Amino acid sequence: MPLHRFDQARPFLTLGLVVAAWLVLPVVVKTFTRATFFELTAPVSVSASYARDLQEFWSLRLHSNTELIEAGRDLARLNASYSLSVQQNTEMQAEIARLEQLLRVPPRPGFREEHARVVRRDFSGWWQRLVIRKGRNYNIPVGAPVVFSGGVVGRVVEVYAYSSVVEVLSSPNVRLAAFIEGDNRPISYQGGINPAFGPARGVVEFVPLDIHASPTIPRRLVTSGLGGVFPPGLTLGTVVRMEASTDGLFKSGEVLLDPNLSTLSEVTVLVPDSHEPIAN
Amino acid sequence: MRRFLALFLPLLILWALVSQANHVLAQFHVYLVLGALFVVYTALTMPLRVGLLTSFAAGLLHDSQASVAFGLHAVLFGLTHALLFNIRDRVPRDETVARVVIALLSNLAFFLVFSFTQIGGLPSPGEVWPRLIWDLLWSQLAITLVAPWFFALQSRSLVVARVARDEPV
Repeated sequence: MPLHRFDQARPFLTLGLVVAAWLVLPVVVKTFTRATFFELTAPVSVSASYARDLQEFWSLRLHSNTELIEAGRDLARLNASYSLSVQQNTEMQAEIARLEQLLRVPPRPGFREEHARVVRRDFSGWWQRLVIRKGRNYNIPVGAPVVFSGGVVGRVVEVYAYSSVVEVLSSPNVRLAAFIEGDNRPISYQGGINPAFGPARGVVEFVPLDIHASPTIPRRLVTSGLGGVFPPGLTLGTVVRMEASTDGLFKSGEVLLDPNLSTLSEVTVLVPDSHEPIAN
Repeated sequence: MRRFLALFLPLLILWALVSQANHVLAQFHVYLVLGALFVVYTALTMPLRVGLLTSFAAGLLHDSQASVAFGLHAVLFGLTHALLFNIRDRVPRDETVARVVIALLSNLAFFLVFSFTQIGGLPSPGEVWPRLIWDLLWSQLAITLVAPWFFALQSRSLVVARVARDEPV
């Protein structure tokens, strides 16, 4: 009888031993194992993304010359308007540099833009992450902000040899200081509510009582620039609802994020010019 | 080692397919969790040591891709494996339908336990349940469709590697 009981408990005893051995393993070994497993699977994801790019290339080849001429004409118009913006921007940068010199203000941190293709989207109810096709080979640092044409995407949380992992703005692990556009009091933003078949949402907390937002009068939420990770003024989302928090001292609200976040195929990593580690 | 590789390679293929499916489904905010499928065949047919090792390795593979404490999937996969190994003589483990039902029940349990370990970090835990229920429904449907093919793949993989199923380690 006791032998039979031992036989029944054997799987659990073996598992217990494995778990105990796992718990006492040094962190270095676990970190190495994690990186090893990630790098083992990286070629699978990267080759799938190259295959998708090839598929897209061949589908674009099917477009007629007329369509290409029309697209070229539209792009030329866009380029003309952007050229004007670049000239104005250069003028403003020079003005800012002159004022900084005059007022002896330390210069703002600069960024190098590194464009990267999205290898894999991993959007569960618990976390939202992207794997991008650039890593240590392009000096991508952990903590670097990631943006796209619609605003902030998130920040780099893991860097591997040829790929990096980006925690997306809609993930509950992302928390940052933000401003309501036109107001310079910092509020707290956190991602996290991601309904099925609907756009991702986030929450804002510690909003001053005199700020109002509703679905009819939405307010744009932008990065504050506090903490030095994200440049100020980048779009995070739109605050569409606000209500007084339970303590009555502040308001909390709901932020609607850009629906394009879940269909991104290319992003831009802002790599700081300085080599100082980025604050998390 | 050969047996471990013959079991682990199909798991790697399954992981690649599931991750590509999730990549496409991300635009609909739907996420497939097929955790139990990585465990069921090895737990029902393989000797304890090699089966548990394979399940643990599959868990580590998931851990390396997820935003969780490294080892959480591995421990949950190991636990699922131990439970299934314990009951395998009392179920018709050689029938595909029985295996699929076991995979569905195991996945339900795995999904709920995993959700409870993660839900504390969310800003509004109550609001996330509708999303998780949708994910669970789609995952169970995917298991029903994929499991028979995957069990056949694992079985063929052992044949190709010339490893007998019940051969002692």
